[in-house]
Formats: sequence, structure tokens, C-alpha cells
Amino acid sequence: MNDVGEAVRIAGLTKAFGSIRALDGVSLTVGAGEIYGLLGPNGAGKTTLIRSLVGLVTPDAGTVTVLDCRLPDRAVLAEVGYMPQSPALYADLTVEENVRFFAAVHGLERHAAARSTADALEIVDLSPRRRSVVATLSGGMRQRVSLACALVHRPRLLLLDEPTVGVDPQLRAELWQRFTTMSGEGTTIIVSSHVMDEAERCGRLGLMRFGRMLAEGTSAELRRLAGVERLEDAFLVLSETTP
Amino acid sequence: MSGRRAGAISLRILQQFRHDRRTLMLLFGAPIILLGLFYFLTGGGSSLPAVDVVNLDRGPLGAVLAADLGQSTEISVSRTTEARAASDLSADTVAAYVVLPADLSARALSGDVIAPTVHLEGTQPALTQPVLLALDQSVTRASRSLAAAEGVRVPVLEPSLDYLHGGPGLDTLDYFGGAFIGLVVFFLVFVVTIIAFLRERSQGTLERLMASPLRRADIVVGYIGGFMVVAAVQAVEVVIFTLYALHVHNQGDVALIVLLTLLMTLVAVNLGIFLSMFATTEFQAVQFIPLAIVPQVLLSGIVFPVATEPGWLQVVSRLLPLTYGVDGLRDVMLKGDGLTSGPLLLDIAVVVAFAVALIAAATATLRRSAA
Repeated sequence: MNDVGEAVRIAGLTKAFGSIRALDGVSLTVGAGEIYGLLGPNGAGKTTLIRSLVGLVTPDAGTVTVLDCRLPDRAVLAEVGYMPQSPALYADLTVEENVRFFAAVHGLERHAAARSTADALEIVDLSPRRRSVVATLSGGMRQRVSLACALVHRPRLLLLDEPTVGVDPQLRAELWQRFTTMSGEGTTIIVSSHVMDEAERCGRLGLMRFGRMLAEGTSAELRRLAGVERLEDAFLVLSETTP
Repeated sequence: MSGRRAGAISLRILQQFRHDRRTLMLLFGAPIILLGLFYFLTGGGSSLPAVDVVNLDRGPLGAVLAADLGQSTEISVSRTTEARAASDLSADTVAAYVVLPADLSARALSGDVIAPTVHLEGTQPALTQPVLLALDQSVTRASRSLAAAEGVRVPVLEPSLDYLHGGPGLDTLDYFGGAFIGLVVFFLVFVVTIIAFLRERSQGTLERLMASPLRRADIVVGYIGGFMVVAAVQAVEVVIFTLYALHVHNQGDVALIVLLTLLMTLVAVNLGIFLSMFATTEFQAVQFIPLAIVPQVLLSGIVFPVATEPGWLQVVSRLLPLTYGVDGLRDVMLKGDGLTSGPLLLDIAVVVAFAVALIAAATATLRRSAA
């Protein structure tokens, strides 16, 4: 962890959808350059937490501060990259057209957008398919285009909601290599996942359930806390013992 | 074929209907609304075209004829002076005025052909028929009632028709061509935008845009920009085709036709964005076509003149943008109105106001949808 400051500070965040409390008083601080993993079963509130960091969720209570800006703040979103759970892309455009569009939307001018698009497609290993129409791609490839769209403008904060679903193990390893490099260069990454070997690669982990943060710490700390060998078991133990 | 398997499909379809209240409302509500509209538009409780009658006849027939016209079930008659009638007609407050000439009775008594002059506004053929029909009926009745006392035989009626605009040289295509330019463009652009914007919502890219530094106004203006480029090409194509391939009659400035057409597409784009909020699937969006478009087509005066609708329905017509677009296009193409014409400027102003209001509504819609 690289201690140059805070990238994200969430305090007492609460959000209900009807009778369902998606977030129930969550507080969280993530330092600049950190890779922070959000773990938890389906419906734990991981996606709502990530969406609240880009202003897509208006909190019922609590505050969200991103890169020293208190949300809602549209301007700061130029420094944030968000990759939603399902690959939200224009299926009738080519790979390159999609990525370049999101570069422009985040304020990159034409030449910079073209350069960044080429770089982003290199990162997700899709340069050879850049002229393919998205509708013709497999699910895993779409996931990678979606990732390219999220990081094309070199955001200081990257929010990834289950980024590697449907991505083959080899490319997944390469992507995590890339995330680690980006984190080394100062990019803060918040990532939700179900995959335990991915969780091992995060600097710190937050374990969520029923909209609450049950436990936080490094993988080693969580395993010690639960008194078990494997992170997966720690996850199960902590989910059950904490009220 | 297996009854059980086919039955599973039927059951599933019924289950889907049960979950889709909107479709059920459409299936059972829309026919009542649309057929009800037809009822009111084709006569049930509708208003009669207003007609002025000027009686210059020195004999008895004119007075009896004018009185009989006053009882007509086809038109609504006021008696006035020729000067007043002429100004009513050019102000579009009456559909026609009939002048009963000084020698009307004399000619009827001598068994000659009678020739009252019917001055028609001329841009709405649907208003011409009732006037001629009423005149014909009243001439027959009036001369019969005088027959006993005065010895009048039923004369041959040959009204001379005088058109303020248009005239006998215009055919149906000429009357409806202008209105249809507005309708076709409005309809197509609306359908394309509502589907495009709905796809933006359903594929999740709208959410992605909301998570970017884009402002809501950026999105709406961006959509307008993109669609207006295509709509402009379409407008020019439609106008050229209508005027030069179909030879639809045009008395006005071609640039004004294109301007009005473009304004209609601007309204259609924003109506599409606005209404896309009320649909969650493309299937539901398609359902807006009968609800948002068909009543507008019926009520905008394209086929049924607004003036002959029942009063409350005229109010509804006045709330629909297509009414003003159609009226404006007719002003230009049939009357040859230019930018100095008050009624045309009013039509343009109202269409612009609709466009501005819908841009605001479309922008506000985006705000609500991103909870």
C-alpha cells in the first residue's frame, strides 16, 4: 500500500430499495494506489456500494467522498473509471468505436482518444479484434471491451464490478498483472469478486453481508481472525459468526 | 403435435400477459379510445362547419332558403353581409359563405337555373361537401314550401364555386400531401428515437453515461444533434420527392416546408426520449405508437378538420404538436403563406414551444431515471 492519501472515504452510507436495505451504515476508507476487494454473497450490497461511488445511487444517509470531492460531483467522474457487472456496450458499434466513444465522453480530445484506445485494447488483448462489431463477440470478449472502456481515460480510481466473469484463466492472470502494475503507478482499484484467488491479490479485503461490512483486513488478517487456513473458509466462518 | 407442449406455450403467454399490465390495458383500453375517437370525428356529437349566408335576393325564395339553411344538420349558419362574410372566410373562422344573388327568386319563378355563389376556403375538402349538400337539400325544401303559394317549381341548382385557396384543379393528393409530409417525418423519427433511446437504457450504456462527467443536457443535445443530421437529410428527401416526383401542389416557399418539417422532427426526437422513460422494453415502446401517434393522426386535422370536431375534442387537438405542424404545412403549400403571415408564424411558434418544452421534459426524465 502506497500512503499518499485517501482515494475514497465512505461514512455511514445507507440506501434502501423499498423494504430491502441494500446498504446499512457502511463506512470504508481506501488509500490511493490500493487494490481493495469487496467480497460477499449475492445481494450483499457490493454492487450498490460501487454504484454509489459514481453517483448512480443517491444515499438515504451518509456521505461519499471520491478523490477529495464530496459526491454528488459530476466533474470528479472524469477521473473515475466504472465497469458495470454486465458489459454495457453498443452492440452495433465496433470494439474500437465503443472504446473511443467512452474516451471522448470522459473528455479526451481526438488524438489522445485514439492513442488511449489503442493502449486500452492492447491491455485487454483485443487489438486484433478492434474492427469487429461487438454483437459478434463472445461474452468474455465483451467483458474485456467493457474493461477497456472503463480504463481508457486512465482514471485515478477504477471501479470494477466482477470484472473477470467469463474471462479465461490465462487472460485473467494477465489482467491481474496489469491491475497490480496500475496500482503501483498510483491508480486506486476497488473490485468486487467471488473468485478467491483474485481476492488473494487484493491489498485489503472487505467482507460484506446484508448491506453491512462484516470484517476488513488483508487476506492473512482475515484468515487469522477466523482461525482457518483458506480464505474461502474464512469467508464462510466470518459470514456465519458475525450477527 | 403435442397438446401438452403446445398448451405449455399458451399458458406461458397468458402468464406473461398477467405480468404485463400495460399490454393488457393497451389491448382492452386502446380499442375503446380509438373507436370512441372515430365516433366523435365522423359525426357523433361533432361540431358543424361554420358557414355565412348572405341574402341579396329581392324575392321571397332567398329568405326562405336562408332560414332553411339555418335549420341544416350539415352546417352551422350565420347570416351576415358580404363584406363581413369575406373577412370571416379569410380569417378562417368560417369554412365557406354562400351568396344568394338578387335575381334568385326571379330565376326560380321563371324555371331558370339558379346559381348562388359558394365561396369556399378551399384547403380542406372535407369541409366543402357538407356545404354543397346542405345547399342542395335546402333549395329543394325551400322551393317546395313556396310551391303552393307562389307557384315555384323546384329549380335546377348550379352553384358557382369560388375558392379562396386551392381550387378545382387540386386533387386529393394536393390537399393531403403537405399534411402527410409532416406526419411521415414525425412518425418515423419518433419511432426511431424511442427505440434507440430505449436500447440505451436496456443495454446499460445510459447508466454508464450517467457515471461519466456528461451532463444530462449533454446527452439530450447530443441525441438531438445526431438525429437532426439524419432527419435533415430525410426532410429534404421527402420534400423533394413530394414536390418534384409526386408533383404535389405547392404555392409557398420550399425552404419554409423544410423548416417546418425539421421542427416537427425536433419535436419527435424529444417526444421519443421523453416517452422512452415510460417503457422498459422495446415491446412496450412499440405500444406507444397506437397511443401516442394514432390519436394525433386522427385529431391533427389531416383527414377530419379540427373545426368540425366536438368542442372538447378541439381542445385536445389544440394540445397536440402535430396539429400545428399540419396546419403550418397547409398554410405554406396551399395558401402560399410566408413569414409575414400571422397564422403561419403562430403555428411555427407553437411547434417551437412544443420542442422547447419537450427538450426540458426529456432532460428532466433523465434526472428521474437515474435514481
